[in-house]
Amino acid sequence: MDNMIFELKNVYFSYLGKFPALNGIDIKIQKGQKISIVGANGSGKSSFLQILDGLIFADSGSVNFYGRELNEKNFNDDKFCRSFRQKVGFVFQNPDVQLFCPTVQEDIVFGPLHLGVEKKLIERRLERLVSILGLQGLLDRIPHQLSIGEKRKVAIASTLIIEPEILILDEPTAGLDPLTTRHIIDLLIDTGASGKTIITATHDLHIVEEISDIVYVFGCEKKIASFGKASCILNDMELLKANNLLHIHSHRHKDTVHVHSHRPSGQGGASSIGLDTHIDHH
Amino acid sequence: MKNTNFIQRSIIGALSFLRDSIFSQEQAMRPGFLQSLDPRIKLITFLVFIVQVLFARSLWELSFFYSLCLILAVFSKIKLGFFLLRTWIFIPLFSLFIAVPAILSFFSPGEVLFSRNILGLEFMVTRQGVDSALFFVLRVASSVSFAVLLSITTRHFELLRVLRVFKIPQIFVMTLGTSYRYVYLFVEMTRNTYLAIKSRVGILAHYKSGQNIVAWNIACLWSRSVHLNEEVYKAMLSRGYQGEALAWVDFKIRTRDFFWLLGVVLLGMTNLVIRS
Ligand SMILES: Nc1ncnc2c1ncn2[C@@H]1O[C@H](COP(=O)(O)OP(=O)(O)OP(=O)(O)O)[C@@H](O)[C@H]1O
Ligand SMILES: [Mg+2]
Repeated sequence: MDNMIFELKNVYFSYLGKFPALNGIDIKIQKGQKISIVGANGSGKSSFLQILDGLIFADSGSVNFYGRELNEKNFNDDKFCRSFRQKVGFVFQNPDVQLFCPTVQEDIVFGPLHLGVEKKLIERRLERLVSILGLQGLLDRIPHQLSIGEKRKVAIASTLIIEPEILILDEPTAGLDPLTTRHIIDLLIDTGASGKTIITATHDLHIVEEISDIVYVFGCEKKIASFGKASCILNDMELLKANNLLHIHSHRHKDTVHVHSHRPSGQGGASSIGLDTHIDHH
Repeated sequence: MKNTNFIQRSIIGALSFLRDSIFSQEQAMRPGFLQSLDPRIKLITFLVFIVQVLFARSLWELSFFYSLCLILAVFSKIKLGFFLLRTWIFIPLFSLFIAVPAILSFFSPGEVLFSRNILGLEFMVTRQGVDSALFFVLRVASSVSFAVLLSITTRHFELLRVLRVFKIPQIFVMTLGTSYRYVYLFVEMTRNTYLAIKSRVGILAHYKSGQNIVAWNIACLWSRSVHLNEEVYKAMLSRGYQGEALAWVDFKIRTRDFFWLLGVVLLGMTNLVIRS
């Protein structure tokens, strides 16, 4: 029971009472789990993550964090609020939203500074993250003038510096070049290896298997369509196709027409009559 | 065709200028004299300057303060051209309405410098009128310049913190900070939307549909900037913000601040002595 971090029962949420975003979510997240959330655009991934981070609150159903309900009343309790923010870190989908300070450095230290972490300690963490993420030249820059990839790295740094037990990431690799994507995945794997709980929403099926053991598929009805081990879900072509996570297209090589089904991992693929499955490295 | 292009370029240019001049923190991050002062001391001394400008009684006194302001700007590595452009853009708004009628004789009777007959009405420009208009413009120019100089050499976060130090209620400071962000986002998005429309329809299409786009814009932009602002607020909450902004570098009064304050106080006293 102690290992249960998040427990959601039949959670409904809609924006302004008329745009439904979550239709009955049941999920249990335990300490140390690595979870991926995949799903088409608008299937409610971001809304779900924001519910976990206590930024929006369920219309009905219950959301528990270590057995304590996440609602506005509990967040008004400064002590609870601070300890929750210390434990849970969130990287937003849109890095423009996450960066609001006049310089990159101030943005990165914003979290620990407001959570009352000692300055010496913050400086040490800052130094480490800067060298890992290669942010050396950026510290005095103005965040909104950076490139999208640079912004995303700064956003990730500004969350990691809090050293949360539970890390929630909303599309951490969107818009990044392959090498930077690799760095970020390695960073997540390292972080995961140290026993942290990591919850990631993504469209990028290539990274799913590396960063997670359990995958939840959010369907177009804005609830969980299926879940299971990463390897099982990624091989379930029907499921992936039904949820816009896979696309088939044909193109011409010399004189044969190939039909590729873009899918995440290479094992097993029908290759009869010129129909084969390719790993698609973007 | 030429015309629309020109208008577009000016709109985008004006918005970029507005953004850079009002919201840019670049000036505040340069290693200049005013930037290195403690923000609390800086705020107090600038208030002292502005009060003296508001109570100034001679053109000499005003010219002195205006020159002082320009010299300070130069020592703070602010480009003089940028600074003058920026302050003089606001000054006409303030002064014109009040100063122009005052030049004319019905308001300030006195020695006639020259006169014109326009539409049967005699407009006479009098020496006293010119003097008082000049006096007025210089007064507005100096106080606006001091205010602008303070705001561009101090970072936005620091300025908000100083207000908190002077016991301005948190709710007020928060509202001020939030409105600032709203306006920033608003300007930024207007600019981006213009660019986006331009890239989608080439030029601003027809005059009529161009108007439609503008109307749609304003309604839509506001709700977008409100939305974005809510998201930014969530991002702040998520990283532990609980209503009180903290700064990474603590305020510290150093000898430089002390001498600056002493200098300003002495100057104020000298001014009082000269006047009495
Ligand atoms: N601020 C909002 N106001 C109204 N409706 C919203 C708002 N944000 C999201 N929605 C709606 O809620 C639903 C879920 O959105 P959400 O952002 O959670 O999806 P998502 O899975 O993260 O999509 P994406 O992959 O595009 O990021 C969508 O149908 C969307 O239209
Ligand atoms: Mg999303």
